[in-house]
Parts: sequence; structure tokens; C-alpha cells
Amino acid sequence: MKNVMKKVIALLCLTSFCFTPSIYAQITSENINGHFTGSYENITQYYMKDTSIGAFPTNEKIASNGFFKLDYNNGNFSSGIQYESYMPAINGYFAPSVIDANKSKIVNKYFKYSKEHFYIQAGDFYEQFGSGLIYRSYENRQIGINNALEGFKAYVEPTDFMKVKVIYGRTREVFDYSNALTRGIDAEININSLLRIIATEKTPTVSIGGSYVSKFQGDYTGTIENFPTTVNAYATRLDFTSNSISINAEYVDKSKDPHLVNNMSFKKGSAFQVNSSFTKNNFGANISFRSLTNMDFRSNRNQEFASIGPLNFLPSLTKQHDNLTSNLYIYNTQPKGESGIQSDVYYTIKSGTKLGGKYGTTISGNLSYIESLNDSSELLSFGKTKYFKDANLEIKKKWNKKLETTISYQSIFFKAALQSASRPNINATVIAGGMIYKFKPKKSLRIKLEHLSVANDQGNWASALSEFSFSSPYAFFASDLYNYGDTKDHYYNIGTSVTKQSTRFSLAFGKQRAGLFCVGGVCRFVPAAFGFTASLTTTFSN
Amino acid sequence: MKKRILVFIISVVLLAHVAKSQENIPSIKLKAVSGKIIDLRDLVANTKDTVLVVSFWATWCMPCIAELDNINDEFEEQQTLKPFKFYGVAIDDARTTQRVKPFVKGKGWKFDVLMDVNSELKRALNITDVPHVIIFKNGKLVSRHTGYITGDENNLFETIKGL
Repeated sequence: MKNVMKKVIALLCLTSFCFTPSIYAQITSENINGHFTGSYENITQYYMKDTSIGAFPTNEKIASNGFFKLDYNNGNFSSGIQYESYMPAINGYFAPSVIDANKSKIVNKYFKYSKEHFYIQAGDFYEQFGSGLIYRSYENRQIGINNALEGFKAYVEPTDFMKVKVIYGRTREVFDYSNALTRGIDAEININSLLRIIATEKTPTVSIGGSYVSKFQGDYTGTIENFPTTVNAYATRLDFTSNSISINAEYVDKSKDPHLVNNMSFKKGSAFQVNSSFTKNNFGANISFRSLTNMDFRSNRNQEFASIGPLNFLPSLTKQHDNLTSNLYIYNTQPKGESGIQSDVYYTIKSGTKLGGKYGTTISGNLSYIESLNDSSELLSFGKTKYFKDANLEIKKKWNKKLETTISYQSIFFKAALQSASRPNINATVIAGGMIYKFKPKKSLRIKLEHLSVANDQGNWASALSEFSFSSPYAFFASDLYNYGDTKDHYYNIGTSVTKQSTRFSLAFGKQRAGLFCVGGVCRFVPAAFGFTASLTTTFSN
Repeated sequence: MKKRILVFIISVVLLAHVAKSQENIPSIKLKAVSGKIIDLRDLVANTKDTVLVVSFWATWCMPCIAELDNINDEFEEQQTLKPFKFYGVAIDDARTTQRVKPFVKGKGWKFDVLMDVNSELKRALNITDVPHVIIFKNGKLVSRHTGYITGDENNLFETIKGL
């Protein structure tokens, strides 16, 4: 703790001394003054025993994750730190290989200097090239991922039609850094600006881009000759946007990248994706296609957990549902190889019509379909094994100022053997209905009922949720997810929350189902739990 | 004892800066659904004494959508009571970015939406959760609110009227 305090003081000192009174006088003359902003987030759980769902707390019954972030901005200069505290980490938060789950540390620190068409940043930073297929560093506290790069990055707009980004550093691995170096460059050219096309509201914009990312990990001590200690990846992309049509396409090629997860395969990797959308008069639709093979690109070849040190981002080509039952069967991208399509349609029937009523009626549909590749190295092919299918439709109608209803239908196919070899193929149907009723402007009741039917696995599920807010900022909720098929388990939760401006506190008591929790292509196993969860988030600034 | 004195001196220096400082809006350029490239710092500067509301949301966040639907329903009526500028900022990442434009147009929302694909602006403004609404006026951040429960839009409209 003493070391941590010393580091915080040292970092803030540096910030302060950059703006000693003599310099300050100069800065104020330009009407630029310093500004602090920050946030704090804490999740604390108290675990109790419940043998029916397999919740067995360890000797330490309380676990707590804390995140403190502080930034300082002054004109063109900014700096900041992030301090994380796990005392110990909440159950299942870190991969089992992390033995250091009871630790606190300043994990991020940065200094940044920016001008209108240029910036340079040293320290820990996040970046994304294109859609992230080739490189993405980001933070997701829900899933416990933070693959920030420690080093430097630079951004420059050398002309009005070109943007260039350069990165160089080591990827964060929980409390430490990978022993591999990652370096990359990304450039984007705006064709409209290049050709001096005069922009109007209806002028389509076209841009092209290219990226190069290289990873060097020189610690290989095995016996394989010509083992590639450097892995190179290249990407090209095209973006076309008009008033009603958008198309973007991206292709990535990765050199031989043997690592633990692909069984030291010497196969090359590649990926291709195209997204297109069409919009007009309260109507919007999009269709996406993606095919990839051997695209697990990670900083450390010896790391087996996807949440530790990934270099690229391979999100599932599926819809993220908020139904309790729909989330029983979640598909996760298969980086070894898959091809998939997804489409969404949104339409609002205009208000003032018979079907639209006074406030309009919104219809949204979604279809996603994912298969294996025909051959693991044959990009763009569709194979014989179906991995996942989700077809769903939702209709939402606001009847008057007080009442709003939603109904939805979903049909799911899931090859559950992808998660555990012994599990069967799942064919499930979800039906859900919900309503919000406003008694008064600040008093409302929300109810949602769901049913999932499936012939095998654990059988049918039902769920109910109610949320009551009697006066902002207070809200209460109660929910139950009940398996009335095989296990007869109830996963109930009750809780309350209080919100005041940018501060929110919530307290819940109940049961958490064991299972995979996936966000953006990265999953972690969440163990069964029974007990209390308290969370606090706040944002502050001067 | 020396350490305490050091901490005290540093605190005084920091507080002195805090007391004299004004808001410093991050300069981050984001692409809007309308196709424009918008820099938040410029946006805040250009709106001057008009209230500017920026609402962070995502296509997978049901409370966010409920809030924006309810704001949209009263958007024109509230503008007649007190004009204000309104932008949504979608924090959808590559999994759902392609969904944002059809979603917004399909909903018929009357305001423009910016796309913060790697949460750069969200991070710079220290936003932890969505929905999160920030209000700017005269170049300063004057109010922010996290979370949404039905009826919060009335508080937002009251806040706008009071500014």
C-alpha cells in the first residue's frame, strides 16, 4: 500500500510541477486552465453456501473489485492513472492461471500531448485499427479484460485527406505485461478530400485504409526449426457511406502464428468481412457476412486464456439479447474457422396511422446463421456443421403516455458441444412479453415474463422480472429464473438502486447461475453464487 | 512526518489548480450517423449559450433505448419550450457498430448520433456505465446523470429549462 501511495503522489507531482505558478501565469493568459476528472467503480460480493445450485464459497466470503481512474487535462496536455484493487477478485473474474487475484496496483498511466492534427501519447493506451479484426486494445470490466498497450502511440494528419496512427509497446496481461513487443501502423485516406470533391448533404463519402501489425516474441526455446518468433498481419479496408446506403469491407491476412491454443499450427490466418446497410423513412436494414480461419492473434503464444493479452477482436456475429432465458445459450466466435451471416431489420409504423397509433409501433427482426468452414483453410466457404442460428422478432408499441408493451419470439439452434463435448445440439424457442406502466410521471412499474422451451439439455425455463420506481432516484426489482425441466432450480434476485446525478449505488441479494459469460468474443466462466452484491459507480470532475 | 508534510503541500498545490480551473472538453473526432465528422470540443464551443445534451447509449442497452425513445416522443414539444441541441453517442463496438445507423433511422429518432467505436470519448469523460447523460452550456459541463428509470426524462427536461 505504501508503494502505491508513493506512485500516486509521484505521478500527480509530475502533473502538478508541469504547471508551476510561473507556467500557470502563461497558461491562464491563453485562457486555458487545468481540469481534473475521474471515476470510481466498486463491486463487492458476499458469498453464502447453496448446495442446490453448487455454490460453495471459499474461506474468504467477501470479494471486491475496485477501479479508480483520474485524468488531468490542461489545454493540449493530458495525463492520467488507473488504480485497480482486487481484495480478492470476485469469484471467476480472473482466469484460473492468475494466482495473483488478491492485489492492488496502478495499472495504467499515460501522458498525452495533442495539437489540432497531431498527438503523441506515452504510457498505457487503447487503440483500434479498422473494425479490430487485426488489432484492438480495450477495457471491459464486466468480462475482466484489459489489453492496453504500454509504450507509445502517435497520430498525425499529414494532409487533409490522410490519417496515420503508429503504435509500439507491450500488451498488458492482468498485473503484468507480455514479453512480446507489438508494433503497428494504420493509415486511412479520404477519397473525397483527395479528389477535392465538393461535399453536399447527398455526396457519398469513400475512404480506404490499410494496417500492418507485427508481434515479436523471442523467447522460443523449443526444437522446431524456423519457428516464427515474429508474426505479421496486414489488413485493407474500404468504406462507402451515402445518405441511405453504407458498405464497408475488410480483409486481413496473418502469417504463420503457432501458439498453444491452435496446437502450434503453422497455418496462416485470414479473415474477410463485409457490412452493408440501407435506410429510408423509418426503415433500416443491415446485412453482414464474415468468414475467418486461424485468426486467434494473441500477444503471448503460451497464454491459453482468451481474456489475457489478445491482440485482435473477434466478436460474435449474433444479437446481444437482454432476455434472461435467451442468454442461457450464447454463441462465441470460433477463431479456428467459421463463416456466418447476420441481418437486422428495423421499421417504425408511423404515428397517426391505424397500426402506428399515436406514438408509432416499432418492429425489429434479426437473423444470424453461423457454420463451420468447408475446409479449415478455405476462407469464404460454408461447411457441413451448423454452429448457431438465431431468428427473432420483436414488436414494441406505446399505447399512450402511460402504457408501453413489448412482445418477442426467438428460435435458437446451438451446437453446445462447442462449449462442452458431451452436450447435445440445442433447438430452443423463447417467447417473451413485457410492459411498462407509468402511474405518475415519476412512478412506474415494469414487468417482463419469458419462457424458453427445449426438449433436451436441462429442459424448459421460465422467468419473471418486475421493477418498480416510486420516485426517481429510487428503484426496486425482483426477478426469478426458474428451471422447471430437470433441475427445478430457482435463480431469484431482489435488489434496489439509488441514483444521484452521476453516482449510482445498488444492492442485490440472490442466486447466480454457473455458466459462460461472454462479451465481444471473449468468455469467462462464472461460478454459481449465492449471496449479496453491492456496486457503486461515480464520476467526478472539478 | 515528512511524508505528511509532502502530502499536504501536494494537496494544496492540486487544490489551487482545481480552484482556478474551468472545464476542459476533450477534443475527440467521431463519425456521426449523418456522415459528418464531429469534434466534441468544437461542438461545445459552437453551441455557446444554447444547452447541449449528449446522451451515451448502445443498441444492446435497453434502459438507454427506453430513455431515448421517451426523449424522442417529446423532442419537438420540448424544443418549443426551450430550444436545445441533442446528440446521442453510441458506444457500440465492432460487434454492433453496423447496427447503429439502421437502428436510429428505423426508430425515426429526430436527433443525430455519433459513433464512439472504441469508447474513446466515453473513457475521456470518465463514463462507467450507460445510459449516461451530460449537459454542456457556455463551454462548460454543467450536469451529468447516470442510469435511467422511467420518468428520468422529465428531470432532464426540467434541468434544461432551468439552465
